[in-house]
Amino acid sequence: MKGRLLLLQIAAPALAILFGMVISSIIILAIGRSPLEVFGIMVRFSLGRTDSLFSILFKSTPLILSGLAVAMSFRVNLFNIGVEGQYYIGAFFAAYVGFSLRGLPAAVHLPLALLAAALGGMVWGLLPIILKLRRGAHEVITTIMMNYIASAVLLYLINDIFRDPSQAGTPRVRTPDVAAAARIPSLGPLFAQFGLTGSDVQKLNALLLLGVLLAIVLAFVLARTRFGYEVRVVSANPEAAEAAGIPNARVQFWVFMLSAGVAGLIGLNDILGFFGYLDIDFPKGLGFLGISIALLAKNNPIGVIPAALLFGFLDRGAQGVQFFARVPKETIVIMQAIIILAIVVAYELMTRYIRIQRKREAEATTPTAPRAAEAGS
Amino acid sequence: MEYLTSLVSLALIASAIRVTMPILLTALGAVYAERGGVVNIGLEGIMIMGTFFGAVGDFFFAQAFPSLVQAVPDLAPVAGVLAAILAGIAFALIHALVTVTFRVNQIISGVALNLLAAGLARFLNILLFTQATQSPGVRGFTPIDIPLLRDVPALGLLVRGISPMIVVGLLLVVISQWVLLRTRFGLRLRAVGEYPLAADTLGISVTRMRYAGVLLSGALAGMAGAYLAIEQAHLYFEGMTQGRGFIALAAMIFGNWWPLGALGASALFGYFDALSLRVVRLPVPYQFISVLPHVVTILVLAGFVRRAQMPAADGVPYSKEEE
Repeated sequence: MKGRLLLLQIAAPALAILFGMVISSIIILAIGRSPLEVFGIMVRFSLGRTDSLFSILFKSTPLILSGLAVAMSFRVNLFNIGVEGQYYIGAFFAAYVGFSLRGLPAAVHLPLALLAAALGGMVWGLLPIILKLRRGAHEVITTIMMNYIASAVLLYLINDIFRDPSQAGTPRVRTPDVAAAARIPSLGPLFAQFGLTGSDVQKLNALLLLGVLLAIVLAFVLARTRFGYEVRVVSANPEAAEAAGIPNARVQFWVFMLSAGVAGLIGLNDILGFFGYLDIDFPKGLGFLGISIALLAKNNPIGVIPAALLFGFLDRGAQGVQFFARVPKETIVIMQAIIILAIVVAYELMTRYIRIQRKREAEATTPTAPRAAEAGS
Repeated sequence: MEYLTSLVSLALIASAIRVTMPILLTALGAVYAERGGVVNIGLEGIMIMGTFFGAVGDFFFAQAFPSLVQAVPDLAPVAGVLAAILAGIAFALIHALVTVTFRVNQIISGVALNLLAAGLARFLNILLFTQATQSPGVRGFTPIDIPLLRDVPALGLLVRGISPMIVVGLLLVVISQWVLLRTRFGLRLRAVGEYPLAADTLGISVTRMRYAGVLLSGALAGMAGAYLAIEQAHLYFEGMTQGRGFIALAAMIFGNWWPLGALGASALFGYFDALSLRVVRLPVPYQFISVLPHVVTILVLAGFVRRAQMPAADGVPYSKEEE
């Protein structure tokens, strides 16, 4: 049983990815192209070039954080769809700390900017979770509304209040430059020692390490600490948690704050790690991708890392497909959505299959007792 | 004072009614889905499909049958609305399959549908119109006057030169209220949403009723999208739904899961939507006026959701073996 279980755990996502590939193959065939050729280009472009590998790591960095943020909220039966808006606000907080303070040493300025980003995310997550716990307002809808409001607030802040005066007369809508001390250090110099250089190597920054570290810490907290135990009980059985003296509302509140805080960091890969300022056209949609990644990882913090790498790979591959095969990169977006739908169905079927198997095994070992009880009820 | 009077002008109310329609139709769809016990967060994505296929149906029908459309111009928008409804049903079918048949978490399925819709609309737009974000302009319905009422001078803009889809939408509200309250189908749908085990025991197919509720929600959200593209913007462009599918869900909750309630709630959202569109001279930056409907949605959910009586089995997958 144990071996078969492990096999199923691996087979379910593999089958879902395969199903996603089949559907996209049909789409590629429908537009008169060869799926083999397109997938071939995708794999060769993403995995066969050094710059692509670094680009995948760079793209995966915010996705790890985003996947972690969503997964944490899912763990306590909350749907934080507001990761998107939370990272907009976090990005602004970090940029503000970055460009308004001068002369601080990096050892102070950068941690301050990171904290500000987390705080920004938490500020934006506060209202939905309070309304959920106090007033019963469904967090899915309130967080989505907060996403729209975040875009508007950000536009107002960047365009009307903090627009870089040195960009006056240009169409650029962006904040002033962040102080060098608040920039996240690039991993480029490290790889340069091994002879690896180029713009994609240079882009890769230490936030990747922070994301991986965070995943490990969260996994440890969930598995080994008292707080993690409370989270697991609340997610498995809210009534039992309450009866055992674990207040659901308190656990949900803090996990949601944690989720929003991690969400606040997502934008930093681009803002503090690459551009060095917050432009109104900064990368968006990373929060929604986090939902897919959390689902793919089954809300397991460590599982978020390979899931984020897969999406980083698909994203890079989409660029290659668009450029070299002249197939719209949206084909890959569709494939991602299909994979998610397939994966949730696959996991559901797997869970059900395991439950039935367990029941059968339990019945096989004690053949008469449960049946008798059933007949008596 | 000047901007206070402009808050209640006849033109604003007429505009409010127009922008109420997409929210209302989608909220009506949500009522059917949730009365049957299925939460459909994917309505936003279905609405996106509706805007796209509404424009596509309208545009290509006019291209394919130019002489026919010249004789009866309204045929093109009719084709658009039908295409949008079909696309909405097809998308809702995915949601029904995933949540009713496979019993996957309904929120997750809805979220995935929204992601799929956004990608699919861009992809198909590139294929059909060689660019990702916008369709060519399309023809709307010929505006109509309401018989009898059109001669009342005080009503003016409210009854003259309005879209026939507004009339259809309002009729659908009344019909839906009657269907849910009085017909066999309506009672069965509600039974399945309240207490599926009891309904199942009485021989009502829970699966079939839930499919019906979800597919109806798809048809109505598709139609809502068609209205946006065909009647309001006269083209499809990316992001034109602006979260109205989610706002409609809030309207349905505020309307206490009833069609007439949804009408009242949608009208409230429509009013703020119209306000944000017209940019009445308020002493507030324009960015904040544009999110008025979203702010109102949060306020409504926070303030009034408590008194609401949601269907008891709403959002809960039903399985024969496990009850």
